[in-house]
Amino acid sequence: MSDVHLDGNGVAGLLGEILAVEVTTVLRTCQTCGDRRAIGEHRAYRGAGVVLRCPSCGDVALRVGTRPERLTVELRGAFEVTPRA
Amino acid sequence: MTPPVPVLWRTATVRDVVAETAHARTLVLDAPGWPGHRAGQHLDLRLTAEDGYQAQRSYSIASAPEAAALEITVEVIDDGEVSPYLVEEVRPGDELEVRGPIGGHFTWSVADGGPLLLVAGGSGLVPLMAMLRHRAAQASDVAAHVLVSARGEQDVLYGDELAALEPRDGLRVARTYTRVRPQGWTGWARRVDAAMLDALGPAPGAGARCFVCGPTPFVERVAQLLVDAGHEARAVHTERFGPTGG
Repeated sequence: MSDVHLDGNGVAGLLGEILAVEVTTVLRTCQTCGDRRAIGEHRAYRGAGVVLRCPSCGDVALRVGTRPERLTVELRGAFEVTPRA
Repeated sequence: MTPPVPVLWRTATVRDVVAETAHARTLVLDAPGWPGHRAGQHLDLRLTAEDGYQAQRSYSIASAPEAAALEITVEVIDDGEVSPYLVEEVRPGDELEVRGPIGGHFTWSVADGGPLLLVAGGSGLVPLMAMLRHRAAQASDVAAHVLVSARGEQDVLYGDELAALEPRDGLRVARTYTRVRPQGWTGWARRVDAAMLDALGPAPGAGARCFVCGPTPFVERVAQLLVDAGHEARAVHTERFGPTGG
């Protein structure tokens, strides 16, 4: 495997620092286009942090700003989270 | 129920390095306390420089869940920051930080059933190989149709192993070469297209679990071809990677 995943699978480790669930199977309904897709299918863009975008319409699903001392998180849309057993 | 993502970083020691192609190596890792993984999952790997600078990347796990050691296969990105170190510098005995396993979306186990359709672009074969090794370890004859797209024969990962995979019952492995056609090659020598997927099968009505992994443009094209052919969009699992930042 080459270096960088460009989808939600590749940033699941980072998201696991924030959300106490396995995130790639979490279904998100987009606030803009209404499509319901797994986080693993979302497109990831890395820069100073990480941005996930809806694979259907491209709108922002999630932003994480990463700094050494803290993470800044923005979630958009409806995330269907199954609690831990 | 999917288990929570382990965020714990642990130290892994490189037990062995295996050259796969001119540009890729497999790192065999000893990772004490590793909780095990499912085929298709990946791990995060972190390197820390002497000045404290850290670089982190995700790598698919190549080894079967049943294997004694944890293996990743890394392909070098020429101007990358991490992969040249992992492919050209790392030696047995070196220590790396890893966390995982990560991901529940792009996974398969024998218990999930088949038929399977696995389509790999280049080193996108790595997580799919974990699935095939798992199938072999379980001596499962679940139908598995595999298409490997590579620039040329020299770029195919695990070539000998692919040819020798067991059980052969139900297994079909095809290749297509997009740049360099080996001498005497009479097989496919073009980008993956609808006719190729149709010839490979399984037919769209068969309820195949499809896994597509490779560079982003490859994955998006193949996933669209599968959906257009009539495969259920829900059954088409994708994992994209790209050379940026490597």
